[in-house]
Amino acid sequence: MRLRSKLAVRCAKLTSTLIRKLNRGSGVTLPGYVARLIDPKILSVMSGMIREKTIVTMGTNGKTTTNSILYHALKAEGKTVIINRTGANMLNGIISAFVLATDKKGCLHADYACIEVDEIASVRVLPELKPDCALLTNISRDQLDRFGEVDITYNKIKTAVLSVPKTKLIINCDDILSYTLTRECKNSSVTYGISEQIFDDISRSEIRESIFCRSCGKKLSYDFFHYGQLGIYHCPNCGFERPAPNYTAARITFHDEVYSFDMDGIHIDSGARSPYNVYNTLSAYAALRTLGAPMDNFKSTIESFDYGNNRESIFTINGARVQLHLAKNPIGFQQKISLVLKDPKPKDVIIQINDTYQDGEDISWLWDVDFQYLANANAATITTNGTRRHDMGLRLKYEDISCGSTTDIQATVEKLTADGTKNLYVIVNYSGLYRTNHMLAALQNSAKGGSPS
Amino acid sequence: MKLTIGHLYPDLLNLYGDRGNIQCFRKRLEWRGIEAEVIPFLSGDKIDFSKLDIILLGGGSDREQELVCQYMKEIKHDFKSYVEDNGVVLAVCGGYQLLGKYYKTDKKMIEGLEILDIYTEWEPERLIRNIILNSPLFKTPIVGFENHGGRTYIGSHTPLGKVFFGLGNTGKSGYEGVVYKNVIATYLHGPLLPKNPQVCDYLLERALKRKYGEDIKLKALPDKLEHKANSYIVDRYSDKKYVLKETIKRYT
Repeated sequence: MRLRSKLAVRCAKLTSTLIRKLNRGSGVTLPGYVARLIDPKILSVMSGMIREKTIVTMGTNGKTTTNSILYHALKAEGKTVIINRTGANMLNGIISAFVLATDKKGCLHADYACIEVDEIASVRVLPELKPDCALLTNISRDQLDRFGEVDITYNKIKTAVLSVPKTKLIINCDDILSYTLTRECKNSSVTYGISEQIFDDISRSEIRESIFCRSCGKKLSYDFFHYGQLGIYHCPNCGFERPAPNYTAARITFHDEVYSFDMDGIHIDSGARSPYNVYNTLSAYAALRTLGAPMDNFKSTIESFDYGNNRESIFTINGARVQLHLAKNPIGFQQKISLVLKDPKPKDVIIQINDTYQDGEDISWLWDVDFQYLANANAATITTNGTRRHDMGLRLKYEDISCGSTTDIQATVEKLTADGTKNLYVIVNYSGLYRTNHMLAALQNSAKGGSPS
Repeated sequence: MKLTIGHLYPDLLNLYGDRGNIQCFRKRLEWRGIEAEVIPFLSGDKIDFSKLDIILLGGGSDREQELVCQYMKEIKHDFKSYVEDNGVVLAVCGGYQLLGKYYKTDKKMIEGLEILDIYTEWEPERLIRNIILNSPLFKTPIVGFENHGGRTYIGSHTPLGKVFFGLGNTGKSGYEGVVYKNVIATYLHGPLLPKNPQVCDYLLERALKRKYGEDIKLKALPDKLEHKANSYIVDRYSDKKYVLKETIKRYT
């Protein structure tokens, strides 16, 4: 290794130690920054040390879960794998993941790298990383205050992919935007998709991206939609159509709150509680197969996989069942509303909406979610919280759904778990997730879960 | 009484919750016992402007605006007559740009409806942030969110308001939007009306007066929550320390 790279790794590690000693957060981005300052080529150097393959995961929804499935599946085969931590998916965070995984001499000993990449960061990350394969989950409306327009997100990813012509693409062909991307890039690609209708229509958003043909501009015709713009499409004008996917999940059934499905002749009884996790599993499977990774333990890994990774957790507080859910964009939120509607029991709902930079400063997207369905959700109370609680309140008011608001979410949780329906849903957007999760865990422990009701 | 609201091209222009504006029109009429009918006109549909009392022209991406442009040509004449006849229009974001002569993007020239004597030119840096206006039409400030690559030059037109916080038409002029006859055109996108019920009621009253005569007066509604949401943003950006903090964050 070059002296310069060694120095970069040293300094990054020192920075990381210092941050942790000073208790200034988890230190996942600054070490990467320091390393890049000293050696601008550090990421290329690091990724060159990966013994087998590098996989990147991009897309609007499902990045973290999919990347985590890849990581666990490879670990189960006895591989050493590097992964970047949740949220640390910009250039510096990714560099940190690599440099902090090195040994004392600054050398990496890893078979695989599973890296989640932010769409904007992808333009700089991909040419450095030169991944063997790039998995794209889907492209839809998210954080428009950062990305501007969905087309801008699309163009960023396209630029990134064009810079690595040898990288194999793993593409969701039910998403017209993702599929168009493969047609506009020369990379070889493998597609995955779901051909049966599994997403229920008890609550569906009308907002769809790009229902117009990207080749000729005419309106596309859909056999049906999964969610968002995902579905089985064709253009009546020019014949552009959703292809038959290389990998597909079939016989998808929902039983006892979890999904079972068949993939490539393997039957999987998963712990997935949301249909989009079937997509995430399928995409990971397609990527691993494409890379020729060993998959002897794939079935057992998936069946014991925790899809929650803190984005979906269940607690028992004061004897009440409390579910925490992350919903950070219209499509995600709509899925959560469907989930709430599937539960016929009386319930209390808390919705927390913040508008920090991480959340997206623009909360207009709340109006792209079909909240009117909550009127029939058997909700005894709905309480809004967070910096934009009044905007959330207005969203409900304009559906004639009454709600209260609180600035003290903990007190509300305590009150509702003690005197409420004993069935509480807490839905938060990004910046509130960690703290709320922590708070609920603490409440659960302090009360030892209370007596079972 | 009844108002008919035409939502133009929601299949192409539906960026960031324009639905919020439709919903606000509808509910604030219904809550007052006035009937509201919303007609979505998809691209290619025939539009009979004489049946409409309010038109909403929403936002779309640059690519979608290009597609909408071809349908615009067919309605250009009727739309202009509607506006000159004091028809009520709310045009937001892309819809605002389309009311002008043209929108010159980085790659293309999009022809507008030529209803307003304004034009828009694209610049690479997008203007994205919360925005607050003081408008001579209203006592309460107008709050919202802007996100546009185009800079709109409004010539001798009357702006909707003066920018208190945010960037506005060009990022430099200090003004935002246009008011012309019963048209309000603005970059404040998506759910502009729910947080600014004064703007919604202004448009509704104009439409009712046009249809049923000048004596119409709207009943006041309990708008406590609307005011809380509005003043939260106004208070936040009236706090100099907060503004400084946000500015520092933006540039680091």
